Amino acid sequence: MANSLRLYLTCIRNTLDAALCLQNFPCQEVERHNKPEVELKTSPELLLNPVVYGPLVLICRNEAEKCLIETSINSLCISLKVKQSDELENILTKKFLRFLSMRAEAFQVLRRKPVQSFHTFLMVVGYSTVYYTQGYDISFLITNYHCEDMQKQKLIEFIVQFMEDIDKEISELKLSVNTRGRLVATEFLKQFI
Amino acid sequence: MASVSVHQFAPCITCHAWSPDQSMIAFCPNNNEVHIYKMLEGKWEKIHVLHKHDQIVSGIDWSRRTDQIVTVSHDRNSYVWSQEASEWVPTLVILRLNRAALCVQWSPKENKFAVGSGAKTVCVCYYEQENNWWVSKIIRKRHDSSVTSIAWHPNNILLATTSTDGKCRVFSTFIKGVDTKHTSSGSDSKFGEQIMQLDLSHSWTFGIRWSPSGNTLAYAGHDSMIYFVEEIGPSPSAQSVAFRDLPLRDVLFLSERMVIGVGYDCNPMVFTADERGLWSFLRFLDERKQTSNAKYDSQLSGTFGKLYGQSKSGSNESNESSRIRAHDNCITSVVPLKKTRDATVTTFTTAGLDGKVVTWDLQKQQDLMEYLQG
Repeated sequence: MANSLRLYLTCIRNTLDAALCLQNFPCQEVERHNKPEVELKTSPELLLNPVVYGPLVLICRNEAEKCLIETSINSLCISLKVKQSDELENILTKKFLRFLSMRAEAFQVLRRKPVQSFHTFLMVVGYSTVYYTQGYDISFLITNYHCEDMQKQKLIEFIVQFMEDIDKEISELKLSVNTRGRLVATEFLKQFI
Repeated sequence: MASVSVHQFAPCITCHAWSPDQSMIAFCPNNNEVHIYKMLEGKWEKIHVLHKHDQIVSGIDWSRRTDQIVTVSHDRNSYVWSQEASEWVPTLVILRLNRAALCVQWSPKENKFAVGSGAKTVCVCYYEQENNWWVSKIIRKRHDSSVTSIAWHPNNILLATTSTDGKCRVFSTFIKGVDTKHTSSGSDSKFGEQIMQLDLSHSWTFGIRWSPSGNTLAYAGHDSMIYFVEEIGPSPSAQSVAFRDLPLRDVLFLSERMVIGVGYDCNPMVFTADERGLWSFLRFLDERKQTSNAKYDSQLSGTFGKLYGQSKSGSNESNESSRIRAHDNCITSVVPLKKTRDATVTTFTTAGLDGKVVTWDLQKQQDLMEYLQG
């Protein structure tokens, strides 16, 4: 178990080492502007210029956990899908990561909304149709300005550390929820003895 | 050690240039100003701040003979600064660009300079004596994407460019009234005439330079390759050298047979050509300790046991600390400092995103001296 995590993280670390070669690049579409080109691509109304974008790299640990790395000349977007084995973990992950994303300014490299995958599919539920978008749980957006201010190795270290910590955090949260639930239930049912 | 001196000028340096007597350095500290420092009594003192641009200054070049500084910026403007009394006076250059300017270089005779831009054009500017200003002629419709780097051939007419579309092109920039007609360059004397186009790289290309004689071209691709081109013309011969490390940002010819490449590895790479003219990677210029090669395994196991609540900007690197390199962050530019009579460069400086300017001297490097003679 720990072995596959180690391999997964090493792979991500190596990819980030190669992908974090960013430089300042003024926008080609709009004068005097400097935008993260990786974001520009996902905006549908602007012309897609395949020249300044890099390939997408998808690293999958298993079906439930994956990491998407999108590169461009001046920015990098890392999107993570965290393992959620049951309904409780699903809710906990969503709430926890939403908490972090809302405070994205404090983290600097965090993106406020996780990247949504392009694959959306329809689900017919009852008499209504629901668009179900497969997405990621959390996204990081690193630009050349971050690379100028902070050291590349430290940025990579932060991302990898984050990925390790997330699993620990979620399981701890789950444990505390279960413990608390048990305590509350015990106390409540005591009155019926 | 090949590095002679290291000095931290600013948090981050975009580009730099040296004065003709190598006593002053002009650089952009990643904002819209140009700082000029002079070495006084063994210490670097800031003597001038050139403040005219609105956005980051992306290119600076200092001419040798006319002692003028040309600066270009992301705000689509360019200024030529000349020293009058003790002040630097700017002259606006009408570039007619509608996107950012990315790079600039004076021509060998310093009567023209070329600017590469994000508008997919190259502007070649010359001085018009009658109107007392700098006028530009634009090479349009040749590039598919931003022009990242330009280089002048020693004959003052040919200009080589690299672009984010992965191609390298050579143009003729013959301007009537400014250039004298050369019989050797043949009939390709129209301004903007494309002499050659090379599509060797699958990725963006940067840092193009001509060798001192003008026979060889070298440029770097973002796919960790460096390309050497000879016989510029209808049928060029090119060599691609792939290397294992991170890509390069800029190159410099030290002699006909030696090239320095700088980039994301924070360490200058030496490429040399043997007697048959085959180029290959020789070594890194900055000595590295062996322990730092034990890379990721030790790092991972070390951090597993480390604190859980790490600070946001990264964890300690105490087990990766044996990295004695001059630069901490990507090196963005390399500029020659001292040239011998036959145009061989023995001293050069590199500046990077860590804000340091490092001077390198190759006099003591025995294994490199044979390539410098060539």
